[in-house]
Amino acid sequence: MYPPPSEWVTPPTRPDLIENLVSGVDRYNPSNVGILEDYLYHQIRTQEYDCLANLAILKLYQFNAQLYNPDVIINILVKALTNVPFPDFNLSIALLDARSPAAPLDEPDPFPTLLPHLVSLHNLLQQCRFPAFWALYRSDELESLRDNYTVEVVGFEDAIRDVAVRTVKATFQRIGKKRLGSYLDLEDADFDAYVEKLGWKTDESTGVVEVPSNPDNHISSTIVQEDIKLPQLSKIISHAMQAV
Amino acid sequence: MSQPRMALWAAEDMEEDLQDVDVNLALGNYGHSELYDEGAPTLLAMQHQKLLANEEAFAAIPDPVKRFIVHFHQAVLKNNLAEITVAYESGWNRLTEKYYSKTEWPDADLIAPLVNNDPLFLILYRELYYRHIYSRIQPDIDDRFHSYENSCELFNYLLNSDGPVPLELPEQWLWDIVDEFIYQFQSFCVWRSKVKSKSDEELLLLSEASQESGLQVWSAYSVLNVLYSLIQKSKINEYIAAQQQGKSEEEIAEIVGEYGVLPLYRLLGYFSIIGLLRVHVLLGDFTLALKVMENVELNQKAPFTRVTACHVATYYYVGFCYIMLRRYPDAIRTFVTILNFILRMRQYHTRSYQYDQINKTADRMYALFAICNALSPSRLDDNIANIVKDRYGEQFGKMSRGEEGIPAFEELFTYACPKFISANPPPYEDPEALTAYVEDSPQEPAHRHLTLFLSDVRAQAIVPTMRSFLKLYTSLDAAKLAGFLDADEEEMVQQMMAVKSASRCISRVGSDKDLLDGQMIVTSDMDFVINENMVHISESTVGRRFAGWFIRNTEHAQRVLDGVRASPLPAAPKPASAPAGVSAEDGAVAKPAAPQKSVAWAKPSA
Repeated sequence: MYPPPSEWVTPPTRPDLIENLVSGVDRYNPSNVGILEDYLYHQIRTQEYDCLANLAILKLYQFNAQLYNPDVIINILVKALTNVPFPDFNLSIALLDARSPAAPLDEPDPFPTLLPHLVSLHNLLQQCRFPAFWALYRSDELESLRDNYTVEVVGFEDAIRDVAVRTVKATFQRIGKKRLGSYLDLEDADFDAYVEKLGWKTDESTGVVEVPSNPDNHISSTIVQEDIKLPQLSKIISHAMQAV
Repeated sequence: MSQPRMALWAAEDMEEDLQDVDVNLALGNYGHSELYDEGAPTLLAMQHQKLLANEEAFAAIPDPVKRFIVHFHQAVLKNNLAEITVAYESGWNRLTEKYYSKTEWPDADLIAPLVNNDPLFLILYRELYYRHIYSRIQPDIDDRFHSYENSCELFNYLLNSDGPVPLELPEQWLWDIVDEFIYQFQSFCVWRSKVKSKSDEELLLLSEASQESGLQVWSAYSVLNVLYSLIQKSKINEYIAAQQQGKSEEEIAEIVGEYGVLPLYRLLGYFSIIGLLRVHVLLGDFTLALKVMENVELNQKAPFTRVTACHVATYYYVGFCYIMLRRYPDAIRTFVTILNFILRMRQYHTRSYQYDQINKTADRMYALFAICNALSPSRLDDNIANIVKDRYGEQFGKMSRGEEGIPAFEELFTYACPKFISANPPPYEDPEALTAYVEDSPQEPAHRHLTLFLSDVRAQAIVPTMRSFLKLYTSLDAAKLAGFLDADEEEMVQQMMAVKSASRCISRVGSDKDLLDGQMIVTSDMDFVINENMVHISESTVGRRFAGWFIRNTEHAQRVLDGVRASPLPAAPKPASAPAGVSAEDGAVAKPAAPQKSVAWAKPSA
């Protein structure tokens, strides 16, 4: 299931130091950018994720063009991909000022070439086109994204599989192995191991995976009746009292 | 920083001032020459010259305006809130209409003798002076720089005097001060981003302004600094928290300290929170915008709803944040609440000078409501929905048709979104970079946000088509559905997952106070699930709603009854005597003598 929004606003894993930065005025102090960037790399190594802390980095970049660091931005966007269908990716892009960095970098800036690819990947995830996502992700074009960035992000591919799994859980009661495999980009033994880890049962004779029952894949017809609350009637009742 | 500019002003005045004017006469009339003693000798000479020029201009100020300024000043000196309010809300606007509808008010230096050179009053006067320029006349670069300086002087005075300032101003004015400060910031950023239309002089000034690091005029940092300072000084967050905990007056006074107990600081603090909400939205930071609101309770009983403009702005920006967070049900609820409020308040606001502004914002919120309702259909409020159909029926129809409706989404979003700004100026300090900037201008902020929003819309563009098919069945084979849609089965199944995702959304439910809090809810009345290749569909039907209709009409009937009771018995019934300007309600009261017309009053609100 999805974590509650309060955990998105304040992840339980967030250290106090970061909490003070994110919630106070110190978040505007450019000299704190290092702390937040270190925290981002900590998230990359540990599979933790803290959207608001990462947005705080982009906020500092927005106000202080000299801090611009393309690697950090790309890593933030890569992390944000793993939290689809939540709006993290677009919220991050919204903070990127469309201007070139103030200081020329030593190396060519990888960000302008990678950004359109990242946006495409995000759109595919958002539209639940998981097979197309994997095809694009594994394409030659995105070699530099894989070799320079996502390879460092511990558990990146599994995190994307989680995105697919969450959607499948909501939509399916039973799903064919082949179809699920194409969403997870897994086959044979890898697939079986992954499904087993999820605790889902496979009917080997039919090749169909049973998705555990949950509130979203359990449907029922209901009739919503009008619910009148007392405050709605307060004016009428109080008027009736006056009239007497 | 103000020194060199002073000289610039004076130089300009000297050029204009070639006519002969009797020095003694001028000094005699002013009688305040001793106030200029502090200046350096050259400055003094220049100011004498200036006085000469001012003499004529001063004489040209109409007497009612002079009387008004003197009176206004007295009211401020006496801290007489009632008189200040009258001067602020009616006097100023009346004289503007009469004398200054297309020109500036007299320069503050010019009217200084009338108010004993009272520095505080002159700052307040300039606040009005520049606001008038921004709203009625196109401000030039000097106006933009000077209005910034004046705002800084005002906030400096309030924040950095020895202890709290014993000034009292009407709450409406305090809101206007904060609101205008942000408006001028936004206006400056937009103006600054248009490099092509700048004159050489403007380019020079802008390049100087961007080189003074740390001292940047209208920089985002300086604006945020003012707002955060006001919030901290007034301890407004602590005040709101204490109020919500039901603490006593004494306890609250203890908590908020010497600044926070004064209405001026408390209100400025609160308005600064709303100001921050707005600035963060303008800069595209929608989570931070809602986060600064974490202590503020959004409801009609909140203690700060008296300033309608503030109340309306709050809901507009909060609602917009929810759209960008893809929390459409929350956005809808936010807009419905405030639009109903505006409808109810309308009768009291037709005469207010802010009525136009509130109406414009309301119209934009109807457009945003239409967008949200197309993305997440709800039947929250038929009343508002009907008004939306009236105004944006055509666009709404298009938006409910998926991909082909994208231009309609674009149109309404562009119309109704806030005026986004870019945090950083074009590189005015570097001519080469500036040329490159002009040739290859980056995307405008509004366009960037539009693109992001449209990507959200596209992700669920298939929803209307899919829904219209699924609604016809209770169960259906996926391959068959793919056949109907003329689509590949696997791709269609993926689209169905997108439809399913679009029907789930985070939303605040009753107990969530924090604006960012919420739970996953189902937003669609049609739900489905796929069992291998079989699609099962179920529909929730909403029973027809009667309560709103009956409550409205009962209340209406009560008002009519009250009206009938309060009116004297008709002496001789004259059927058509109701004057033209009388509203439907009053008209109805005058009519009950004619029985066949007694149903007429029930219809208009039905």
